[in-house]
Amino acid sequence: MAMEYFAGVTDALRLTFVQVMIMANLSIGIFIIGMYINIKKWGMGSTGYGQAPSKSILAFPKMLMYQMSEHAHVHNQSVLETFILDILFQRRILRRSPLRWFMHFTIFVGWMVLFVMSLMMFLVEMIHMVGEKAGIHSFPEFMNPEIFREILSVPNDIFSYILLVGIIIAIYRRLFVAKTREATIAYDSVLLIGLTVITISGFVADGIRTGRFWGFEMPIEWAPPMALFHVIISLLFCIAYIPFSKYIHMIAIPLALLANKGGE
Amino acid sequence: MAKREPSINTENFTAVQLMELDSCSRCGECVDWCPTYDASGKNPGLAPRDKILRWREYMNKSYGLRAKLFGPKEIPEEEIEQFKNDVYGCTTCGMCATVCESAINTVELWESMRANLVKRGNGPYGKQGAFLKLIGEYKNPYMADNKDRTNWFPSDIKIEDKAEVLYFGGCTAELRQRKLALATARVLNKLGIKFTMLGEDEICCGSALIRTGQYYINDIAKINAQKNIDNIKAKGAKIVLYACAGCYRASKIDWPRLTGKELPFKVVHITEFLQDLIEQDKIKWEKSINKKVTYHDPCHLGRHVGVFEPPRAVLEAIPGIEFIEMERIEENQRCCGAGGGVKAGIPDLALGVASTRVEDALATSADILSSACPFCKRNLSDGRDAIGAKELEVEDVIVLTAEAMGIDLSDTPAE
Repeated sequence: MAMEYFAGVTDALRLTFVQVMIMANLSIGIFIIGMYINIKKWGMGSTGYGQAPSKSILAFPKMLMYQMSEHAHVHNQSVLETFILDILFQRRILRRSPLRWFMHFTIFVGWMVLFVMSLMMFLVEMIHMVGEKAGIHSFPEFMNPEIFREILSVPNDIFSYILLVGIIIAIYRRLFVAKTREATIAYDSVLLIGLTVITISGFVADGIRTGRFWGFEMPIEWAPPMALFHVIISLLFCIAYIPFSKYIHMIAIPLALLANKGGE
Repeated sequence: MAKREPSINTENFTAVQLMELDSCSRCGECVDWCPTYDASGKNPGLAPRDKILRWREYMNKSYGLRAKLFGPKEIPEEEIEQFKNDVYGCTTCGMCATVCESAINTVELWESMRANLVKRGNGPYGKQGAFLKLIGEYKNPYMADNKDRTNWFPSDIKIEDKAEVLYFGGCTAELRQRKLALATARVLNKLGIKFTMLGEDEICCGSALIRTGQYYINDIAKINAQKNIDNIKAKGAKIVLYACAGCYRASKIDWPRLTGKELPFKVVHITEFLQDLIEQDKIKWEKSINKKVTYHDPCHLGRHVGVFEPPRAVLEAIPGIEFIEMERIEENQRCCGAGGGVKAGIPDLALGVASTRVEDALATSADILSSACPFCKRNLSDGRDAIGAKELEVEDVIVLTAEAMGIDLSDTPAE
């Protein structure tokens, strides 16, 4: 069986592999430029209350460090407590709405774990490919991409469904909870639509490859292009688009939590 | 062709505050809890979430990717003027910060927006514009002779020339709600606490200027803060007592920030001081107040600084008081509506918020709605009168304390 790269893109599609690599680098490049613009924009502020705007790219990290080290009058909690309870566990959302916390937490956990597993799969494939080219065959057995993919198969399914549960709740709220629906603007919708397309395309790509439910009995030849679509859309939405959309909250909220020591 | 300049600038914003604009997840919690949004009949412009959204859009139009590539997009002047009106329709109570899932320090953000708009020539709002001139000229916002701060004290009040404890009376208690200042002085006298006051050397704490974004003009708030600090030091004070939540917050948080130095004395609210004495069994109660009392947390004492328990401890220690809580208390307390310059700038809005808070108190069947801030007392009294709840007494914790200690305040002079 031909060695598969990127969840189904075969050796016969070497050009596609190159395209994916280009797309990945392009996405990372766009992300870096976007973050540079954002940090520059944030750096239009000052490094202290009532001070003149700094207009330096270092203004934001300086002010962040200052606030993190400053004594807070109400909640003077540690960085570790903020990181574990507020950033990872997201207790501020839980305090306000257990349902919204469940929705967000499932999306967060699903997204993060799938992202890490995709990264691990990519690394294993890369190591294997480079190893083959260099004539190194002494990797442990689990480093074989096919075996590694099998190892990840069950957790991949579990966390995909966890993510899907969160997305379904989010869509339900946006469509059927009047207050949420009326307050929804394009800024919110784009995030959810992007996430839904990524998740569903991932299920379908995997379903076609494995012949399971999500493949909807589509021909196996469609697996590589579907996988390619899933990878590209994921790179564009989940990396390149972050600095320019509501996805920025994934970076800005943890920073706000750290700056304000978990908040009031 | 000259490059178009951005319609807004980033004056008075910190770099972290500009980042916070991007951290709003638009969950809407702040909208559900905002007292002025509620009292305005749900005016969408007053919703905290929408203020963040609008300023973020202004930032992106001025400094975002599109602005970098094609130049800044103009924001119509009427739109900015409307934004100014909305950002001043806020009591800076901090409820939005408490419920914010992203932990945005909204109070400071609104104050920075206000300062920015003042500098831009849009702010402040209505009568708030007089604060600067009045405080600059009279050293208080009431156009009163500064000598009248303490020269009205009855002759029995003993104020030391120098002492380790200093009572910072504040403009409102010394010039407008003298019963509160008299109660504080007599309580301290009766407890045998030697204390001093600044008298005519006291200058407005700056709260009104800071909250309305006018603090940096001519550096007046900073200069006044430094003068107060120097005068307090000259009196030899190690502990400074406050019976005004606004002055307390300004001294504790704003003075060190304005002057860039740690305070050379300890800032203590009178209820914290009394709680300590109660725990040491040093207060002798002489009278029983046989009434049902509820307590309203002033935003500047509670949410802003975290003093929730001491006022309750004092009230619960007073003989005869049946203490009862309202539904929304402590960090979830509903604002009285007076803060952030709203009482001066938009009195109808302040009254609407106060009326709702009085209704919270009436729901407990309390006889007395108490607080620990003269400004809350003023507005809650107005709210009570507006809804005709004559049976409800509005009184400060320190006045109730004085009464329970057998102190007569009937000789309080008129304002």
